[in-house]
Amino acid sequence: MTTPRALPQSKETLLQNYNKRLKDDVRSIVDNFSEIIKTAKIEDETQVSRATQGEQDHYEMHVRAANIVRAGESLMKLVSDLKQFLILNDFPSVNDAITLQNQQLRSLQDECDKKLTSLRDEIAVDLYELEEEYYSSSYSLSDTTDLPLCEAYRRRDSWASPGTGPGSAQGDGDEHDGPPSHETKPQHHLNGHGTTPIEKP
Amino acid sequence: MANERLRALEEVEKEVGVVLQCAGNVLLELSKDKHNASFLDRQLAQFLSSVNRIESELSGQIRYLTQVATGQPHEGSTYSARKDCQMALNRAEYAKVKLGPPPGRPTS
Repeated sequence: MTTPRALPQSKETLLQNYNKRLKDDVRSIVDNFSEIIKTAKIEDETQVSRATQGEQDHYEMHVRAANIVRAGESLMKLVSDLKQFLILNDFPSVNDAITLQNQQLRSLQDECDKKLTSLRDEIAVDLYELEEEYYSSSYSLSDTTDLPLCEAYRRRDSWASPGTGPGSAQGDGDEHDGPPSHETKPQHHLNGHGTTPIEKP
Repeated sequence: MANERLRALEEVEKEVGVVLQCAGNVLLELSKDKHNASFLDRQLAQFLSSVNRIESELSGQIRYLTQVATGQPHEGSTYSARKDCQMALNRAEYAKVKLGPPPGRPTS
């Protein structure tokens, strides 16, 4: 991946700026540190008196130490800027992160839907049995217009096979009218909004 | 993975702290009357190695960025998957509400 790429001017200058800051800060830390060590060497008296030289050395060391700390702070800022630039512009890793997140979200969604579907299937089975039990007992005899789901399925199965006996034309008419109207009523039951009150013991 | 690069940058931040700590220890030791030479050598060696590590790591990261960065903003998002997941959780919540509380649970 060493093909020269025509980066836009702003990005190129930004990266060159980062390089320059890195070199300057590291050089500042090393130079100031070595200068402090050199200044700590005890020398013979020169033109100024020892007290003045001591004061001057003290001030110089103070300033150099402050420079080292400033360069350290500047390096921390540079690291923070690099992190920000990396998050925004490092496309391979951003793509990987997006793909991973999408996979996790989709698997969570699939699991949720699978559990809901299995719950629906179990409830449908139980409801079928309950309705069969209820409507074949004595409690449902008062209302003859409503059909339970099992009865509707049984009648539909008998309509599906060719009808025997007289009145086949009428039977055809009934056939067309019968199943749709009876199919809607069981749905009426399933939704729980049926007109017949369900008596609880 | 992106986390590797970010973790490397976190390590660099710690190294900067180590550099300043070592410099301070060396000067503290020099200010005493009697110097512990081995301690000075150790701290100095650690200072120099940390500085070198910082420089090499950061210039490596900058070199990688010059190769990888384009001028374009990234337009990918996880919005659709997140929305679908949110809807699935809403469906589950709605089913829970419709089924009602389980019987026999003591109300506190």
